[in-house]
Amino acid sequence: MSSIDVSDIQGFALKGYNFPYARYLLMELLQPEPARTFITGLLASKITTGERWDEKPLTTLNVAFTFNGLLKLELPMASLISFPLEFQQGMKARSEILYDTGRNAPQHWEAAWRENRVDMWVAVNANTPEALEDRCAEVEALANATGGARVAQSQPACAIFIDGKASPKEHFGYTDGFGNPDFQGAERGCVPGQGKLTAEGNWEALATGEFLLGYADEAGELPVAPIPHLLARNGTFMVYRKLHQNVASFRAYLNEKGATYPGGKEKLASKFVGRWRDGTPIELSPDRPQPSLVNDPDRHTNFTYADDPRGERCPLGAHIRRANPRDAFGFNGQLVNRRRIMRRGLTYGDYVPDGEPVSDTDERGVIFMALNASLFRQFEFIQQQWIEYGNDSHQGNDKDPLIANHGGHGKFVVQGTMDPLNPPFVCAGLPNFVELRGGDYFFVPSLTALQMIAAGSIDPR
Amino acid sequence: MNAVTPMKTWKTPILRLFFFALGAIPPLQNDLKNLSFIHFARWVIVRRTQFPVLSETQPREQLKYDYLIFFSNFNGTWNQYIDAFSAVLARGLNVIWRWSEKFPGSRPVTGFKRYITLVQFDTDYYYNAYPRAATNDVKAALRVHDALRDFARSSQQISPAEFDTAWRQLLVRVQPDLGSTGVAPVGT
Amino acid sequence: MSNTNGQIYGLTILSPIVQDHVLDISHAIELRQYLATLPQDHTSPFSILDSTHMARLVVMDDVVYVGAPACEEHLKSRYLVFETNFDGDLDTYLSRMAAEIGDVVDSVWKHCVGYPGVTDTGAFIAYMKRCQIDTTFFFADVNDHTVKENLKALQVQSALAHFIAHHQGLPPAELQRAFGQLLCSLDKAPLPPPGGLPSEKTPAEDRPHE
Repeated sequence: MSSIDVSDIQGFALKGYNFPYARYLLMELLQPEPARTFITGLLASKITTGERWDEKPLTTLNVAFTFNGLLKLELPMASLISFPLEFQQGMKARSEILYDTGRNAPQHWEAAWRENRVDMWVAVNANTPEALEDRCAEVEALANATGGARVAQSQPACAIFIDGKASPKEHFGYTDGFGNPDFQGAERGCVPGQGKLTAEGNWEALATGEFLLGYADEAGELPVAPIPHLLARNGTFMVYRKLHQNVASFRAYLNEKGATYPGGKEKLASKFVGRWRDGTPIELSPDRPQPSLVNDPDRHTNFTYADDPRGERCPLGAHIRRANPRDAFGFNGQLVNRRRIMRRGLTYGDYVPDGEPVSDTDERGVIFMALNASLFRQFEFIQQQWIEYGNDSHQGNDKDPLIANHGGHGKFVVQGTMDPLNPPFVCAGLPNFVELRGGDYFFVPSLTALQMIAAGSIDPR
Repeated sequence: MNAVTPMKTWKTPILRLFFFALGAIPPLQNDLKNLSFIHFARWVIVRRTQFPVLSETQPREQLKYDYLIFFSNFNGTWNQYIDAFSAVLARGLNVIWRWSEKFPGSRPVTGFKRYITLVQFDTDYYYNAYPRAATNDVKAALRVHDALRDFARSSQQISPAEFDTAWRQLLVRVQPDLGSTGVAPVGT
Repeated sequence: MSNTNGQIYGLTILSPIVQDHVLDISHAIELRQYLATLPQDHTSPFSILDSTHMARLVVMDDVVYVGAPACEEHLKSRYLVFETNFDGDLDTYLSRMAAEIGDVVDSVWKHCVGYPGVTDTGAFIAYMKRCQIDTTFFFADVNDHTVKENLKALQVQSALAHFIAHHQGLPPAELQRAFGQLLCSLDKAPLPPPGGLPSEKTPAEDRPHE
């Protein structure tokens, strides 16, 4: 159980910043020397670390690199080849494995991703649009002045505002952001349900090494990491996926099926995800949303599936049950502890309230970002085995109802009871509610590693 | 997956004893069944003198070690399979393989995977009578089949209203087992 | 030492492969080439030998040197390993091998030492039993249903799931009628062939679950 050096770790790996505005500058690196100067400049302008804030800053700044980016920065070959295979290949090359086929296939991605032009991710988060604009302008000015990089794509993102306040909602109307894993050494207190289950049924923080390189992981060893040690330590890997949301299709489907589902449309919506749209977990409250439950951090994520083996409260194939099965596989959750990811996403595009006209072709969705020590073992596994396949949830080849690549033929079984308001119900003909527009795998270096990359001083021995 | 590991001959009887105990008292078998991704698996001890000799002219083996051969028919990817074994069956696996030379233990998992990669050998031909069904699918299908048979019998001459209720009861009974079958994801 | 688990028999055969240093192509290589051409779907010989749940054929070249301080040693012959899990008793299975897929058996085992052919069933069975290694520990998750029973159950499951999805919300009388039709069609439906239909094969399916 090590204490972690928060000043060396990029802040968003340790906590969500909770700023309502962001922009992701997806940059192409130019010549190695100017690129390194650019990074030096960014370091000087203060990359946000995990250090505790006395006062929330106006903006934050963080960076990450694709394998192509590290290649262009001329890291030593021995270091480069020591990076995990999936990171070296990049997300586009692994699209078959990830079921990013059909409409989600790379040929339909946005140009910058499709053409592999993204070497570096520079993320600015801000409290106001003006502060965001200013900080981004600084970054772009630095890129121009050094000649080290240029913007291949500028991706804005911002929280959905309801009644003038930033909300944690996403475009289908669900309240998002629950269930991020607790791990040892992270500053915030444990929220029951976010860690791992102990034999006695309590919740405990996961091993740091599941999310940060250089620390012991749940398997009792240091996770496989690139060399040298200083390059990897306090770093992590990130997956970035621009997930377009077909809000019109979703609302139409929910309205149609919700009209024939005896529990009603909102209840059906809750069955898809495993939470009512306000965030109430249906495992704890299957019949109605409960604001008091949602607002209580000791309760809103504090549940297991042990008492619901047949999916009568929360369907076996519901989204959150697939993405984090907790104790649903037995063995005290041990088959799940090494499959957790830390999510840091933000919505993009204009929000349209329910009932108002909306189109699938409008630009809106979620910028999904997740952090983990091993893309292969964590994110890719969840995506391939639990989202796009259902054997572990005992749902055969059925996929995640909300986000999977159904191609129009998906089916979702809502398990129920003899209660007429909670009957067994099948949703067939599922379309793609979510489409992938692009993304890649990134390495998020520590501040130390970043300095070494900028100085060109990495020695793999 | 196929794996062959050498064992010092004095260790072989100990392993046999453990297998006998595992067969008689089945906690390992329960865990294997609950993991629910292995159709069939077997361990075969081939003693150093036991390699079949079918003719006078066939050279006889002259071996120091006995050999433990392992075959398994499983669902999921190789990595998933070994990760699960290491996470959940570590003790049972250790009991079986600790008698094999240079076995590093099933935890931590990286060394375990390295050892298995070293001792495994590839299959040249594989046949599966139901290739699109995982073990879970087979078990679910058998439950659904029995439920439908029972329902068909008991719903012979009943009114539509009675049928409606009975049908709902059938759905509740089979509802966890209605997943589709199909092709499983490949690993890498 | 149990070769059975429930009603499943686990057979392990190790047949030494002929070594002939005069040949251009060794028996082992030719055997591997032949195995690569054998179909895995419903046209597989094991689909005919339809009590077979799962089976494999492996050319085992050698044992493995695991590293010092273990000693290095090598096998003097290569072995053809036949691992199969099937319904029923051994003698029936072996007799059926000889009678129903004899030509495939010949093509495979002709590369093995002392193989007598399949014309004399008794000699064939005796040969296989000489090559048999007893299973030390045999695990079978589903050990109480035959291949045919499993295939039927899978067919029923798929049909019922489809029926439920497409008859949701019907008035009871209509549902009852439709259900009667489902039962009829299930009764009449031919059993799906063991090994799967080729139309179901996609590139990703090339690797079996082994």
